[in-house]
Amino acid sequence: MISVENLTRAYGSFVAVDDVSFVAQPGRVTGFLGPNGAGKTTTMRVMVGLTPATHGRVTIGGRLYRDIPNPGRHVGTLLDASAQHKGRTGREILTLGATTMGLPRSRVDEMLHLVSLSDAEASRRLRNYSLGMMQRLGIAHALLGDPSVLILDEPANGLDPAGIRWMRDLLKGYAGRGGTVLLSSHLLHEVEVIADEMVLIGRGRIVAQGDKRSLLAGDGTQAAVTIVTSLDDRRLGEALQRAGHTVTMAPAGEPGIRIEADAETVGRAALDQQVVLTGMRSGAAGLEDMFLRLTSETQREGLPPGPPPPPAPPQATPATAPGAPR
Amino acid sequence: MTSMPYSAPAPGSMPSLDVSGTAPVPLTRLVGVELRKSFDTRAGRAYSFTVLGLCALVMLVIALLVTGDFHDLENFLTAMGGTLSFFLPIIPILLVTQEFGQRTGLVTFALEPRRPRVVVAKLVAGLAITLGVMVVALLLSVVGGALSTVRGFDVDWSLGLSQLWSFVLATLIAVFIGFAIAMLVMNTAAAIVIYFVYSLILPTVVGFLSAFIDWFADLAPWIEFNTAQQPLFSGDYRPSVEEWGQILTAGILWLGVPLALGVWRLLRAEMK
Repeated sequence: MISVENLTRAYGSFVAVDDVSFVAQPGRVTGFLGPNGAGKTTTMRVMVGLTPATHGRVTIGGRLYRDIPNPGRHVGTLLDASAQHKGRTGREILTLGATTMGLPRSRVDEMLHLVSLSDAEASRRLRNYSLGMMQRLGIAHALLGDPSVLILDEPANGLDPAGIRWMRDLLKGYAGRGGTVLLSSHLLHEVEVIADEMVLIGRGRIVAQGDKRSLLAGDGTQAAVTIVTSLDDRRLGEALQRAGHTVTMAPAGEPGIRIEADAETVGRAALDQQVVLTGMRSGAAGLEDMFLRLTSETQREGLPPGPPPPPAPPQATPATAPGAPR
Repeated sequence: MTSMPYSAPAPGSMPSLDVSGTAPVPLTRLVGVELRKSFDTRAGRAYSFTVLGLCALVMLVIALLVTGDFHDLENFLTAMGGTLSFFLPIIPILLVTQEFGQRTGLVTFALEPRRPRVVVAKLVAGLAITLGVMVVALLLSVVGGALSTVRGFDVDWSLGLSQLWSFVLATLIAVFIGFAIAMLVMNTAAAIVIYFVYSLILPTVVGFLSAFIDWFADLAPWIEFNTAQQPLFSGDYRPSVEEWGQILTAGILWLGVPLALGVWRLLRAEMK
C-alpha cells in the first residue's frame, strides 16, 4: 500500500507538488492522472527517494522507501524507460538489475519472456529499441524482483493498442493477486480502461479522487441527461417541456434532442405521446469532460469553449514550396 | 500470456510490507555491479583497453627506440605512471557521470536508496580497476626491461619500495581527483575537460608563472597539486618532510575539498 501524506515539493517559489494526499490500495490499480507538468512524475520520484520532499512524506507498506531493505524486491519502479545506458543491451540492463537485487540469471529470461522480448531483441543495444520495446523492457525491470507494489510512470507511453491491452491484462492480473499498482498517465482513455481508482492532479494539487462511478457521482453537476431520436422529436420534446424539463437540440452533428431528465422519464413521455423511439442514450458528461474541466486551469491550452474547429481542408501541396531553395 | 512466472502476494498480506525475509543489498554485490558497468558497454571496454594499449605503446617506444640510459625498470614504471595518471581517471569519471548523462541513476539509486553505499561501491570498483591496470602496467614494464636487455642495454632491475609506492600513490591520487571532479560536475564531457585542464594546462601555467615570479615559485608547490607531487616521480622518489607537507596542503585544496563537495552534492542531488 502506498500512502502519500501531505506531500509538498517546491523548487524555489515554484510549487510542483502542493499538499498532495492519497492512498493506493493493495488489490487495486490506481491511476494517477493529470496534464503534462501537473506533478505526477515529481510525486513518483519522491515515493522512491530520488527527490527529497519539501514537506510531508510517502510510506509504502508503512515504511519510508529508504528503510525498505533491497527495495527492488518489494517495490517495482518504472519512472522513465529511456533512462538507461543506450550502449547496453536489454538483457544486460535486466542482468544489472537482477544482480543488484540478488536474483538468479534465470529471472532475466523469465521477465524477457513475460514482456515478449525475443532473444534477438534482448541482445540489441537500447539505442536501437523502439519506444514500445523500451517500455516493455522497463516493465520487465520493474517486475524483476517480484515486488508487491508497482510504481509506473506513463507505462503505456509508446505501446501500440495490442501492447496497451497486454499491459492492462498484466496489471489487472497483478492487482487481482493482491498487488498494489500505481500508474500515471496524461491520457484519460489509457487510465480509464486499466484503473480501478483514479487520482486526478492538476497544477500540483489533487482535484478529485475515487473510483470512476463515485468520481462522476460526486461531481455534483451530473444531472441526468438523455439524448433521444424518435419518429417525432418535436412532439416528444414539447411534451417533455410541458412537464418542466429543459429540452434542447442534440449536440452538434447528432440527430435528435437532448433532455435534462433520466431515461425512464423520457421513455414514459414517449409512451404517453405514442411516439416511437429509435434511439436513446445517456448524454451525461463523461469522465473526459470532467477531467478537462477539473484540470482546465492547469491546461496549457485552456479549456476550448466548444468543440474544436474542424481541421483545415487539405490544400494541394505545390510541387515546390514558395521560397524554398531549389 | 497464460501463466505469469511471478506471484503477487495473497490478499490480506498487505498493507504493511513484510521485509523480515529480505536482507539489505550487500556492498560486495554493489561493487560487483559497478565493476560490470565499467565493462558492459563498448565505450567502457574500449577505454580500458585503450589505456593499456597506450601503456604497451610507451613501453615499446622506450624499449625499441630510445637510446641512452632510460632502460631501467624504474624508468619504465615512471613512464607507465605518467601515462596512467593521465588517462586512468577517465574510468571513474565515466562510472559516475553515466548515472547522470545516461540517467541510469534513476535505477541505480532506486535499487539502493542509501546513496553513500553506492558512492563507496563506485570508489571500490574504480580502485579495483585501477589496481588491475597498475599490475598490468608493472608486467609491461618487466617486458620492456626484457626487450631492452635483448637490445643489449644493461637494465637495472632493482625496484625500491619507495618507487613502487610513488607509482601507486600518484595513480591513486589521479583516480580520486577524477572521482571528485565527476561528482562535482556530473557531466562526462565537462568532467574530462576539467580533469585535463587540471592535469595538463594548470601545471604549465604554474610553471610559466614560477619561472618569472620568485615568490610564486616558492608558493606554487604548496597550492598546486601537480607541482607538489613532483618529488613522487623524480629524484630518489622520497619526498622530504617539507615536500610531504606540500603534498598534504595542495592535496587538501585540490583533492580533499572537491571530493567532500562532490560527495555532498551526489548525496543530495535530485535524480531526474
